[in-house]
Formats: sequence, structure tokens, C-alpha cells
Amino acid sequence: MEMAAGHHPIVMEKSPYGIPPGKLAMWCFVISDAVTFSAVLFAYGYLRVGSPDWIAPFQFFPTIVNGLVMTFVLLTSGLTMLAAVEAAKQGRTAAGTRWLWATCALGALFAVLHLLEWRRMLEEGWRLFQNPTGGSVHFGAAFFSVTGLHLLHVIGGVIALAIIAIGFARGKYNRIDVEITGIYWHFVDLVWMFVFPLVYLMNAK
Amino acid sequence: MNSTAPAEGPGMKFFVAVWIGLMAIVGVEVFLTYRHLPPRELLVLLLALAFVEAGIALWYFMHLKFERAALVWSLVPAFIFVVFMMDHFWPDAFRMASMKLLER
Repeated sequence: MEMAAGHHPIVMEKSPYGIPPGKLAMWCFVISDAVTFSAVLFAYGYLRVGSPDWIAPFQFFPTIVNGLVMTFVLLTSGLTMLAAVEAAKQGRTAAGTRWLWATCALGALFAVLHLLEWRRMLEEGWRLFQNPTGGSVHFGAAFFSVTGLHLLHVIGGVIALAIIAIGFARGKYNRIDVEITGIYWHFVDLVWMFVFPLVYLMNAK
Repeated sequence: MNSTAPAEGPGMKFFVAVWIGLMAIVGVEVFLTYRHLPPRELLVLLLALAFVEAGIALWYFMHLKFERAALVWSLVPAFIFVVFMMDHFWPDAFRMASMKLLER
């Protein structure tokens, strides 16, 4: 038990998890979002199993190579995020801010690479329910849904990282806020660890 | 995992080693893909590697290892249960596939 500061002391019970409420809220969000991604990946699996005419369309170059570069960029952004959290823990605000911006830049690069790939696919004739290779029309729906949901999370994360970087540099946000953003960013990283093998590699020619 | 209080992380050198390990797993995934294994076999292998990667990311990058055990027990079993329950849809997917094959 601890006493809160003020004119009338209030008895506060310690958290059973030993973490701030914001961090617990982020963990709850991450678990519920993991369920959402699981459902989308299950739907992709359902469509794939239920479509005997499914064709694996991805060539090693450019699609798989681009996917590998995107994986490298996103995993590296996880490392820069860890550096930001470590710097914030040690009270090195300038270094923490620099690492946050580095993470933000890598996230933006990932989004650009993803959008360029979408553009190339759209130019080839891929649509939500159109398959230029003549295989299952569900491929486009599955691919754009799974990668689109992940891309939305990346773009949201880049915006959040920019806001936290600015606020952290100005002293508005503290190390806990950086850590909470880090949990979200690593989750985005973690989801890609399933998207890349299941959606890209399983569809390699 | 700590049973009482959250602990501090192991430092950047360790995280760089974990990052190298994750990149190596991605390399193995691509290598396996171009061994042209049967789809079911490839799926099992890729999923197993993805779970190892996700476990490492969850444990070290997301610092779950350094949180109290209560947090892990509150979050992980519930998630596993929900994902397990989603597996009930597979028989219907196989029914769809067999019906489409019969139509041909």
C-alpha cells in the first residue's frame, strides 16, 4: 500500500502487474489486435484452402526480393526502437529522440516500398477481385486485405512515433511513453514475421 | 520472466545479437521456400519458424521476459485459446474445395 501526495492522503493499492496503466492498456490493445490479425490470416488460409485454382504468382525478383528488403527495413526499425527505449531509460533525451526519428524514417521507408509494390501489382492488373494470371480471384482480396491492414498499422505507427519524438524532445512525454510506443512498434514488426512467410513465401513460384 | 517485480533489459549488444538471429531465420525461410517442398510441409516449417521469431520478438524486443509473470499469464493463454477456437473453420474450407472440384 502507498499514500498519494496531497492535502487528504488517499490509500493506493499497487498494480498486480507492476506496470503503469498506459502500458497495460497497450498490452491489452496488442492482444486484441493480434486476434484481429489472426482472424484475417485465418480468412486468407480459408480462401486459399477453399480455392483449388489458387496459383502462386510471386517471382523471386521483384516480389520476394522486395519483401526481403522490407523485412530487413522493418526488423532494423525494431532495433532502432530498442535503442530509443534504452536511451530514454538512461535519461539521454537527445539520443532517444534521434533513435525515435530513425525508427520513424525506417517505418516510412517500409510504407513507401509497400506502396510501390502495390502500384506495380495494380499495373499488372491485380485488383481486389481480379487475377491477371487466371487463377483464383480471391488472391487479390486476400493479399490486399492482409498487407493493407498491416500497412495501416505501419502508417499509424509512423505518425505515433513522430508525435512521441517531438513530445519527448520537448519534455512533454517521458520514457514510459517511449516504451509504450515501442511495444506497439514491435507488435507491428511481429505481425510481419507471419505476413512475409504466409503471404509472400507461400505464394512464391 | 520475473515473478515479483519488473527487471531491466540486457542492453543493446544482446539486442543486436537477437536482431542478427531474426534475420538469419528469415534467410532460412527463403532457403526453404526455394527447396520446392510440398506446400503442406513448407507451411508447417514456415509457421514453426514464424512462431520462433514471434516468440523471440515478444520475449526480448517487447520486454515481456522482464515483466511480472502475472502479465504473461493474463495475456498469453487468452490469446492462444481464441486462436485455437478459430481452427474450427478449417473443415468448411476443405468442404468448399471439394465442392468446387466436383463442379468441374
